[in-house]
Parts: sequence; C-alpha cells; structure tokens
Amino acid sequence: MAPSGSQRLDDGLFEIISEAGDARSGVLRIDDTELETPNLLPVVNFYAGGTDSSLYGGGIHRTIKEFINGDDVVNGGDYSRYFDGVMTSVSSLTDYGISRERYEDYISEPIRDRDVFDFNGTLFLDSGGFKFLGDGTLDGSDFEVEVDQEAIVEIQRKLGGDVLVNLDRPIEPDDDYLTRVEKARLTAENVDEFLNLTTRDDTRYLTLHGYNYSMLDTFLTEIEKVIGQDRVHREFDGVALGSLVPLKDNKGKLITAVSDCREVLSDWGFEELPLHVLGISSSAIPLLAAVGADTFDSSSYIHSAINGKYDTSLYNSEPIDEVDFTECDCQVCSDDVLVNRMEGNVEYQKDKLGTVAMHNLIIQKEEIKRIQSAIQTPGDEALISYIEQSLGREKSMQQHAHRVVNESLGGYF
Amino acid sequence: MSTTKTPQVNEVNEFLEIASDFEDPLEVIRESLSNSYDAGATEVEITIRDRSIGSEIVIEDDGEGMDHADLESFFDLGNSTKRGHQNGSIGYKGHGTKIFYKSEEVLVNTTKNGTNLRAQMDQPWEKLNNRTMPEYVLNEETVKEGNSGTHIRITGFKSGYGFSPASLTYNKIEHYLKWKTLAGSTGHFFTDDFREMEITVILGDEIDDTRDRLVMNNKLEFPSEQREPGEGQFSESRMCKHYPPRELTAETENGTETTVEVVGMVGGKDARNELPTYGKHSAQFGVWLAKDHIKVERVNDTISHDNEFLHFFFIANCQDLELSANREKIRNKSSPVYQTIVEELSHYLSKIASDPWFKDYLSHRRKAKLTRRAESQQSSIEKREQRIHERDRFTPSNDAEVVLGLERSNRFGAEPEITIEDYDPNAEVNALVRQDTNLYASSIHRRLTDHFKADKPLESVDKIICWSYGDRDELSELERSGYHSGEVTIDLEKNRLIYNNGRRHNIHIVTVQDRL
Repeated sequence: MAPSGSQRLDDGLFEIISEAGDARSGVLRIDDTELETPNLLPVVNFYAGGTDSSLYGGGIHRTIKEFINGDDVVNGGDYSRYFDGVMTSVSSLTDYGISRERYEDYISEPIRDRDVFDFNGTLFLDSGGFKFLGDGTLDGSDFEVEVDQEAIVEIQRKLGGDVLVNLDRPIEPDDDYLTRVEKARLTAENVDEFLNLTTRDDTRYLTLHGYNYSMLDTFLTEIEKVIGQDRVHREFDGVALGSLVPLKDNKGKLITAVSDCREVLSDWGFEELPLHVLGISSSAIPLLAAVGADTFDSSSYIHSAINGKYDTSLYNSEPIDEVDFTECDCQVCSDDVLVNRMEGNVEYQKDKLGTVAMHNLIIQKEEIKRIQSAIQTPGDEALISYIEQSLGREKSMQQHAHRVVNESLGGYF
Repeated sequence: MSTTKTPQVNEVNEFLEIASDFEDPLEVIRESLSNSYDAGATEVEITIRDRSIGSEIVIEDDGEGMDHADLESFFDLGNSTKRGHQNGSIGYKGHGTKIFYKSEEVLVNTTKNGTNLRAQMDQPWEKLNNRTMPEYVLNEETVKEGNSGTHIRITGFKSGYGFSPASLTYNKIEHYLKWKTLAGSTGHFFTDDFREMEITVILGDEIDDTRDRLVMNNKLEFPSEQREPGEGQFSESRMCKHYPPRELTAETENGTETTVEVVGMVGGKDARNELPTYGKHSAQFGVWLAKDHIKVERVNDTISHDNEFLHFFFIANCQDLELSANREKIRNKSSPVYQTIVEELSHYLSKIASDPWFKDYLSHRRKAKLTRRAESQQSSIEKREQRIHERDRFTPSNDAEVVLGLERSNRFGAEPEITIEDYDPNAEVNALVRQDTNLYASSIHRRLTDHFKADKPLESVDKIICWSYGDRDELSELERSGYHSGEVTIDLEKNRLIYNNGRRHNIHIVTVQDRL
C-alpha cells in the first residue's frame, strides 16, 4: 500500500460542505460550473439529433436535448436545473455507424459553444472504455479512427468536456485474478498516456475497477507500478469507480464495492477526492450516497421510458398507459401540452417517450435533492430517517437500508 | 301483516358458556389481579387451599371497594362499570368475574365510602347446570370511612380436568403470573406514573409447603444487560442486550392511526433462563402482542425466517387489539389495524435483526460452537491416537485405508507390485490397478465379504482387493446358496474366486494384510 499524505496541487475543486456518517455533500467547481453533490448526471447523447440537419432524427435523445434547451417544441419550460451536470461518452458516436466526415463535423466544436444547444452544466466525458474495450464489439472503424487513448483525449477535448476520464479496461465478474491484474496493467498504460496528453489545467478522473477492498487495492497498486507513486498521488482530481453495471441488481455487492472503494481511497490518501460511480442509478442512489458516493450517472430515465415505464419513485414505476398524471406535480406532469403527449396524442413516439424520460429524470433528480438536504441537516438523524422512510419500507431494500444505517451512520440502537 | 320480533337471549346458557371457558384456577388469579388493579389497589393477596369439597380461593385487596352498582356488574354478565379504556382499566367486558360462578359458593365482602356490602351466592355452578339463575343475598352496613377494600372468597372452585390446584407450585405460579398476567406488565417502560402493585400469593401447605408465600411486583423486568461474551464453552449464552421502549405509530389503510409500544431484549439461553420462564423456550420467546401490557399471543413471523425467534423477547402492546373473553386470543386478526401492527413490527424487528450487536452475538454463538466442535475433534484425535498406540500393526478401519495399506505393501517390497491408478470410492468397480503392465478392474473393500454385502457385481471385476477375507462362514454360505444367480467357489489356497453364471469368471483376490 502506498503511503498517504502527498498534496495535490489543484485543491479547492471539490469542497465538502457537510457530512453524515460516510455520506457527504459538497460542491464540485470546474471553471464556471458548479455542481452540488451528491448528484446524478443524466447520460445525454449529444450526437443523436444534435445537428441542424438531423431535425427529424435522433429519436428520444433529440427530445431530451429539446428539454435541455427549453425549446418551444417542448412547450418552452426551463429544465436547465435538471441538467446541472451531464454525462456523455465518446462511445456514443459508435452507436451510429457514421462516416469520417460526419465524425469530424461532430467534434469540430465544443458542445457548450454550439448554437443548437443551450447547455451550461458540468460536462463529464467518459472514455467509453466500457463499450470500446469491455465487450470488444465496438470500435471506431466506421469513422476510420483507431480508438486509443490519444484519440479519446482528442475527442474529449474537442467536445469540451469539463471532466475527462482515462480509457480503461473494465473487469467482468468472472475475471480471475490474473486477468484483472492484466486489465489493470493495460489501464495503467492508458493512464500514463492520459496524463502525458493532458495537463493539470484539465480536470482528470482516474478510473478504478474492483468489487471489494482487495481488488481495488490491487488495481491501484498496478496503476502505481506503471505511473509511479508521485503521479498517482498528485495528478488526479477525482475517481470514477467502474465495472459495476453487471452488479446493478445486487445492491449488497454495490454497497460493498462503493464503501470499500472509499476505504481504499482513504488508505491511499485520496479521501478528499470526489468519487463518481459509473453507470449506476435509481434505487441504488440513496444506499451508495450514504456510504460515500458523490456523483452518479445513468441513462435509466431514458431506458425506463423506452420500455414504457413511468417512474413514480426511485423504486417504483407504472406502465405509461395506466398513469394518472394528476398525481405527480413535477414540471412535466403540470404541463397540459406535455401530459397530452404522454397520453399518446403525438405523431412520433419520441415525443411521448422523451417526455416520459424527462419526467423520470425529474423524479430521480428531486430524490437526490432530498438526499442532499438530509446530509446537509446537522447530525446523522435526518439521513437515517430519510433512508428508513424511503428504502426501509421496501421489503427488497430493507436489509440494505439497515446495513448502510448500521455501517455508515452509527446504527439504530 | 308484519310483526317485529326481538331475538331472545337465554341468560342461563350465556353464563354457563362464558364460565365454561375458564378452567384453570390460575385464570381466577389473573382475573382477580386485573380487578384489583382496576380498583386502584396497591396490594393484593391471593390464598389458594385445596379442600376436599374443591379448592378455596381468597382474594383480598386494598382497592377502592365496590358500591351497589359495582357489585351488580361483578355478578352481571356483560355489564362492566369499567367502561372502555379511558381510565386505563383492564377489564371492561364484564366477563372475567364470571369464572367465579364455577364454584360452590361466592362470598364478596367489600367496603367503599363508608358502606360495607356483603354478598353471598350459594351453589352457583350447580344452579346454572340445573338451568336456574343463581341469586345472591346482599347485606349492607355502615362502617367508618377510610377502610376501603374487597375480600372475595370462592369455595369449591371447579377446575377443569388436569387443572387441579394440587398440581400448583409457587414456581409455576410465579412463572404464570409473570408471563400471562399484569404481574408481567411492560407498562412501566412507557409511563412515568406507573402504578405499582404488590402481589402476594399464599398456597396451603397441602399444595406447596416449600415456602410461606410468594411476593412480587407487577413489572416485567429483563435480565441485566451483558453485551460482551463471557468465559467458557458457551461464552455467548449470557449475552443480553435491551432494546429500549419505542412507540411505533402507523396509519392503517382506512386512515386511522394506531400506536404500538414495543420493548424487548435479545439474549442467549442463560440470560433467557433468568426470566420467569414457563415451559419450553420455543413456546415462550419471540414476539408477543399484548394488550393492557399483558402478553396475549405471539407473532413470530414478524421475525424474518433466517433468524431464530428464540433469541428474541419482545412485547408489543397495542390497545387497538381486541381479545377473546378468556384473553387467550386476538379476535380482530382480519382487521386493517392488525395488519398494520404486524407490518410495523416486522419493520422494527428487521432493524433489530440487522443490529451489528445481534450479528456479533450470532457470530460469538457460531464461534463457541466451532470451538466446541474443535474440542470434540481434539478428543476424537486423542482417542484415535490411543488406538494407534494400542495396536501392534497397521489395521485399516475403512476402504480408503485398504488403499493406503496396499501402497504401503508396495513400498515395503511386496510382490507382485500392484499400484492403484484410479480410485473412485463411489463407483461400483471402485479402482483400476496396474500389475506388471496390465490394468485390472478391481473392487477394494476392507473385507472380501463387504463386496457381497454391497451387492456389487462379479462379472466386471478382475480383482477384489481386501484387507482380509472377513467371516469365512459367510463366504461358505455364499458358496452354498450362490450369488446373483451364479455359483461362487472360493479357493483360499490360490487366492481365487470363481464365479459361474453361465460364463466362468476367474477373480483374483488380493489380501493386503498378507502382503505386509
């Protein structure tokens, strides 16, 4: 294990304002953007429907961007507070078999500077390792770019990402020890290059992969072997814990991964770094926030909508065609035009499902606001009470709720 | 033409029915304690004697006594003056005292506000059974103020079969009182102005002469806490943690609110034994629903199944529970309020089950068990060592040791060398052995006779490898009666078994003990 205590140069990026047990609430300040934590970054695909010429393309992703902009086609409301932080991935390009020309056009201007978007939030730019290197089925061959760390950084920069993440090799639950070490070593080589290609002016997150303390410790040790102790301790502004998507239905394992990750980070002297959990959201959010995760990203709001699900809470949903919209007072459900669309009175499905997706996102974002406020309330009681009243009443969640209360918040008795 | 009719009640039968529900003289005590408590008594003394005409039960308290109306409701059915629970009284149905009708005589002597009333009822049980309503004679006199209280004497109480007062002991009564009556009340955990009552029970020497009397209070008290494990083999068994009183409030599905007052402990066997247990732990521990802070019925399914309810002792009081006349059962189990109570309790108990202390206790319990197992393993090792010292040569006690014996014989130079190339203890032909360069299908057993006992075939076997032949008479019997519809001949001289079931099989017998 590495000794702790080395100081990073770029302090003040993440300010922890209050803590409740292992949970914390703070502010992530990058350039002109501010993001309150814990927070959820909706995954947004800026490519689909992201150009002037794709007016009728882009499907549900286009509708989401109309909400970001508050365009007239979605009845012009201001939804920007739900897009205070957004996650997008380099790999979103690969979903569309686009040409080299299209690719160059797409990355020619930073997202925030484009006329077609009115987006002012914090932009996380994932490397797409999960898609490029995880299952090996996708590459950049359609647009004739060899996907390596250098190409990824170039794209991340051109798109104007606020937070950059290195290209990584996700692990799988079935990987044996040697496979995981080899993946860590390959990731470490990317990290080395990533650090060479970027500077301390960039906000850089190091990806970690592991399901428990020992796996994460081994992973960090491999990184340290390649890039050296000094750089491991001085160069990074945050940590992104990955490879958890295959565990998404096993809340117990997710809690172990995140709380062990916090422990490893603390033992390595990285306690103050913000911790992002890649690809996990919904009902896991309160549990993982309680054990110390700071940010999440997820596309579940869109996936739920595509599957015809209208979320009524982090834990429950209803089939969209059976919903009584008067029971929800969110901005979407309070807008008659949008309710009319969700009721199916539209020409294109994207206008119905995209609206439902926006509602689903609001449900998740409002919940995370409640979590923030519970952590910000002095003492641990507010968060305990929040967890008890929300998750503790769901039979399938009860044991996990009790576990985080016991392990992170001092217990009930 | 229409007429209106009112359904009639057969009063005598009603009395008979209600009184018949009660059989145990202990129930007389329970009802009396409730009455005395409701009358504001701070002391109550109960005396039970076993007489030839039946048992005599005397209850005396220093409560506020009864006036005419109280006395009427004492004898009437369903006419309690203690309406509702607004004054915190336990009895309000007017059922409990009807237990006294199961006797030869009821004599009540009570003083309230300077008036003494004396009521005597003769042969109530006999009269009820003869379908006549028993009457009581009432005398009134004025006495000086200040000496209130009630004295009730029941003569010739008819206990049910198996409930004879002769079978009572102080021990049994103490346990019963603490478990089933207000003597085991959990009320004191929830209020600052809990009214204490001293309870004295006196049994005639003909029932139990081990002591003069039993004196107790009306509070359930848990064994002292001990959160750390103790010493010795059962280190976890005195561990005990209290879970302080909590008021759980929940809304039922029809919008009314209900409150459950829950208090309890988790503990090992020794800690639980410090409670006045009454019967087996499995019949007593777990989660009790209570009314008036008196335990009624258990709801152990509020504890998730992966936890043994035995470690838990929780009492959940709710005044919205409705009880049967004899207070043994909850009547409103299909009501929304009952469902809510159970849900609320399940949720609360899931927190107890997830308490790190409880997990720690379970882990101490497991560790203690493992330690005991290791200790018993150690003693088994010692015994086996002893056997090795006592024997003069290696002797296998199972098939695998025959395998080891064979390998040992090779090492010591036995001829011919027979090596085991493949051993599968679960296969019918459990070994493939090599002799010279050939492989032989073999059956390895401690004794030759074991092969036959295991009913294994002979056709597919080239060799049977055993430590010894076993019982030679058994082998002779096989030769006499045959095996698997074939004939068996054993040539001990040539170590050969010939099996003929139409085809002749020559099987080589290897006796390992002769190779060592």
